[in-house]
Amino acid sequence: MQLLISILYDCIYHSTPIILCVLGGMFAYKANVLNIALEGMMLNGAFVSVLTYFYTGNIALAVLLALFTTLLYGLVFSFLGVTMNGNVIIIGLAINMISTAVAGFVLVLMGSSNIILQGFDLNALKIQIPVIKDIPFVGNIISGHPLTTYLSFLLIFLMYVLMYHTKFGIYVRVVGESEEAAKAIGLRTNVYKYAAILIGAAGCALGGMNLSLERLGLFTNDMTAARGFIAIAAIYCGQGKPVQSAVYAILFGLSRSLAVNLSVYAGNAAGLFDCFPYLLMIVVLAAASYMKHKNVKVRGF
Amino acid sequence: MKRKLMALVLACAMIAATVAGCGSGGNETTAQPSGEEGTQADAGEGSTAGNDFKVAFVCSEAGQNDSGYNKSACDTIAEVASELGVEYNIIEPTNGVAQALETLAADGYNLIFSLEYDFEALINGVGGGLPLAEQYPDTWFVVFNDNPNVNEDGSVKYDNVISVLFDVHEASYLAGYAYVLVNENQEQLFGDGYNLAPLDTARAAGFVGGTNSNGILVYSYGFIEGIEKAASELGVTYDYYAKYDAGFTDSATGSTVAGTYYDNGANIVFADCGTVGDGITSRANEEGRLAIQVDADLDSTQPGYILTSVLKITGVPVETITRAYADGTIGEMDNLQSYDLESGATGITDMSVIGGHVQDADLWNEILQKVNDVADQIKSGEIVVTNAQDGESLDTSAITHVNIK
Repeated sequence: MQLLISILYDCIYHSTPIILCVLGGMFAYKANVLNIALEGMMLNGAFVSVLTYFYTGNIALAVLLALFTTLLYGLVFSFLGVTMNGNVIIIGLAINMISTAVAGFVLVLMGSSNIILQGFDLNALKIQIPVIKDIPFVGNIISGHPLTTYLSFLLIFLMYVLMYHTKFGIYVRVVGESEEAAKAIGLRTNVYKYAAILIGAAGCALGGMNLSLERLGLFTNDMTAARGFIAIAAIYCGQGKPVQSAVYAILFGLSRSLAVNLSVYAGNAAGLFDCFPYLLMIVVLAAASYMKHKNVKVRGF
Repeated sequence: MKRKLMALVLACAMIAATVAGCGSGGNETTAQPSGEEGTQADAGEGSTAGNDFKVAFVCSEAGQNDSGYNKSACDTIAEVASELGVEYNIIEPTNGVAQALETLAADGYNLIFSLEYDFEALINGVGGGLPLAEQYPDTWFVVFNDNPNVNEDGSVKYDNVISVLFDVHEASYLAGYAYVLVNENQEQLFGDGYNLAPLDTARAAGFVGGTNSNGILVYSYGFIEGIEKAASELGVTYDYYAKYDAGFTDSATGSTVAGTYYDNGANIVFADCGTVGDGITSRANEEGRLAIQVDADLDSTQPGYILTSVLKITGVPVETITRAYADGTIGEMDNLQSYDLESGATGITDMSVIGGHVQDADLWNEILQKVNDVADQIKSGEIVVTNAQDGESLDTSAITHVNIK
């Protein structure tokens, strides 16, 4: 029982940053801009939030600055990728590299290999939900997470509404599906692309902040450990649909959680669970691709 | 026109990049922070002391701004080189260790340390080339944590290569021994702010390693034997949880792995996994449990929650060997050097940081005394600890008071 509780709790723990990245990144996916800079943006969110807290001790300011600086990266990405029509893969790669480099550079200036917030009480950030926390089993899993975790799950549905039930969401999708058509009806397509990318940046900033400040109270360089790329994979598997993509994000979280928790019983063999999401991804993408082309009768390239 | 200009600029940039890539060492020297060049110039000026040689240090992947593993050696080199008045260079290789070593040797560096765990080019040669040790017989190379410099019959392969090993198994043994003593006295020692699993529910310890190699197992085996020693003295049994594939970067995973071990009643997690260890010590703080760090003295990164750090002070061998070169006695040194507890290059911290958080100072001193006694027994050879670095494996039949899960 205890094992199941910790598997599910850790599943939420590991899913949250990926969900936030996914929710942000899928708008760019729908707007037909491939944002591979999720990883770098997330790292920036993680870094700036901890750095700000280290110097000011103010959580609100830490979150705001993390959002602000990551949005700057988003603006750079949009300007180069959308306005200047640059290659988004190269730009994304550059942002991934520069955010690690900036963090590394500041750490060198600080003369430290990491930033550890001493005396930072992680338990104080955990929200014990009244009533629910007293329910056996469920309470231990759902209660006791930091604020952003709850926000991320709430956002799944908000983003669903935003994407399918607002004008904005429809326009973003139109821009992605047929830019010429969007232009023909007078949409300023670049505005929607900018907005989509900036939503992604904000999501990544929150995801990074959750990973470093809220969960660990520390920053070490490269601590995002490819979660941004996992998010991209989840977006592709879920075809940019909020709920489906989030489910894939949770699946990644669950696999990581299984790999961690079962290592007590299975030793190193539990590490095999880390492969599971990738195997699944290959199967899903292959199947999706097969279904898509199965009924195509026209010979094409 | 605009497009032509653009093409021209790009072409120039490409040529520049290619030249920089081929240039011998150009890219490596730029890899170091500008501050280093300043110190280097200072060192150069002071070369009137009569020492005319050049020392270089190749960092491992973590780079010189790490928590202590590279930093200790880099600081020592800077210090010793300026004292001796010799030129030195610290390299963070961008194109692999092989190229860095070759460039340095070709540039006339006489003594080259390499902390990266990569010996192929040096000992066996890569890409059909001769081994670097053979190409540059007058250059001294020093490698760490393994002894690749042997022929099949076990004899020394190249006289100009020195392998440095740290006897961290002995230090890990002390850490394991200390943990059991501390855990058995948890009620007297730890008060508010701690949330240790009581002895009547479980006795356990955890170990998290970055990768499954002898360099990591050596810590784990020593730790197990240390626990075994104390547990058998007290007639109790400990569970032992270990994970050897945590990697070295994902601190959040470290935190959750440690959480699992803590949930299973382990009051300590031994972290030997780079920055993943920071996630583990953060979790120790969060849950009010204990952790053990490695390499540098990191006790004060989470004060009160890190029992001790198992030290690997790379600066000690670096200083010894550099001075030996300056004295001209390096040729008399062994090609395989082990730095034990006595040398000061390995050991555990004095545990003074956590000592400031315990309630019962007398009991604490008693424990420290017992640990010191065991350290003396190791130094005198009375206690022999399994050393996985030499390829020894753990004799599980002798482990009767630790259940290895």
